Amino acid sequence: MSTRERKRRFDALFASYGSDIVAYCTWRSGSTSDAQDAAADVFLTAWRRLDEVPEGDAARVWLYATARRVLANQRRSSRRRQALHERLAAEEASGAAEQQSPDETLVHEALRLLPAIDREVLLLAEWEGLSPAQIAAVLGCRRVTARGRLHRARRRFRMAFEELRDGQRRPTSIQVSQRRIHEHV
Amino acid sequence: MSTSESFEALHRANPRSNTGFAKTVDSVQAQISTAEAVPVHPAGRRRAGLVRLAAVGTALAVAAGVAALTVRSPGGGPGVDDAAAVVNKAAAVTANAAERSGTAAVRITHDGELWAGSTIRWYDGDLSVSRDAPDRRGRAGAHLLLVSGTLYGFEEGHWVIFGDPANIDPGSGTTPDEYVAAVREDVGGMTLRRIAGRVTGLTVTRPGNGSTVYQGKIAAGVIARETGFKDGEAIRVLPFGYVAHDEAANGSALLDVAVTVGADGVVRQISVSWGTWDYTVTYGSLGSASALAAPKNARDLVKERLRAVGRG
Repeated sequence: MSTRERKRRFDALFASYGSDIVAYCTWRSGSTSDAQDAAADVFLTAWRRLDEVPEGDAARVWLYATARRVLANQRRSSRRRQALHERLAAEEASGAAEQQSPDETLVHEALRLLPAIDREVLLLAEWEGLSPAQIAAVLGCRRVTARGRLHRARRRFRMAFEELRDGQRRPTSIQVSQRRIHEHV
Repeated sequence: MSTSESFEALHRANPRSNTGFAKTVDSVQAQISTAEAVPVHPAGRRRAGLVRLAAVGTALAVAAGVAALTVRSPGGGPGVDDAAAVVNKAAAVTANAAERSGTAAVRITHDGELWAGSTIRWYDGDLSVSRDAPDRRGRAGAHLLLVSGTLYGFEEGHWVIFGDPANIDPGSGTTPDEYVAAVREDVGGMTLRRIAGRVTGLTVTRPGNGSTVYQGKIAAGVIARETGFKDGEAIRVLPFGYVAHDEAANGSALLDVAVTVGADGVVRQISVSWGTWDYTVTYGSLGSASALAAPKNARDLVKERLRAVGRG
């Protein structure tokens, strides 16, 4: 592939899936700056390994799977700066509290109550629009497993949301930012 | 509050709806562009600017009486984030309204002439697909019905029982499962959310009948999903099962897209155009379509064949 072809393909890749990967990194990493760094890392990886990136919609799944690994590495390295991380999280939480609607707070609180894998499967389906087959490819599990997890995650989310809404379950905090929720993913 | 409202709230909380999400994407693109290892072609940015200018030109050309608001205008007013959020919300409202029943009329025109069209009606798990434009053999009318898990087809003036939909050969066209999946994906809001998340050069027009039209450009790959390969070529399928062709078959080609949202916040129409082709899906009777009934006097081909060979 010539350099010009590589650039063309890379541009098309970003145009088609850039916002998907940024969205995924946003809800997985929690802070905008971490999400930007992770998304940029994903596309730098894609540039370096462009020949390995599959064609068509499979490229989207490839990018999500890469983003998942990039975020895992980012999280491991970020443990060294956890104190700073937590302080920033608290600051962001207070900022987010002003912006979130009551519904959003309920959603984030309900998501936080889910097991990490359920949360990830649910959001890959509901926010990223992936099919169970694509989720299976991203997570590296069997299709039937992804389908089962998704069914369970939807049921658990709905129950958690309704319990919180009806006051049967106390929120663990009054306002929860996305950052704090998705640290657990 | 109904059960589905927890999912509506979940969809509204999608980070794509956040103010500033588009800026974050731009920042990532800039971050990649400035990295020496990845000299991203700057034409992408210039092109985006031109698209926005073109959209402004289109909006200005709209006839008098149509209020046109160009997004990202410096003087305030609805911005691209707001518009995308509205389309996202409309997707959720539509999904809720359409959960049980509805109709979708699909039309493909070429040079203004009807080239293909069908009406899909669903009620719970039941489905009917009627062809509104003559096929290559000149036939039109109802051609597929799925009621209580039994599939019927209309052949040579008679309804015929095909039986379990799983018996349909996947190589013989769109299967009932694929239709149902397409309906669920479309009316479930997934297609609309994809559009809302990735449309560029968004403009907002109000035709004066209470509805609002959101127009922009979208990569063909977003709306025409890749479903497989045939003769070494990727097959892309538009919403409701029509195979994409020409520019629409090229995943990165930019197509014109318009989403019409009614005064009640429900999506009325999705329109995609490329070259001389127009593809339109018009929703109706969402939540109020009547139940489907199995056709009377349908012929059971299996029984007839068994009888013919003396085994029935």
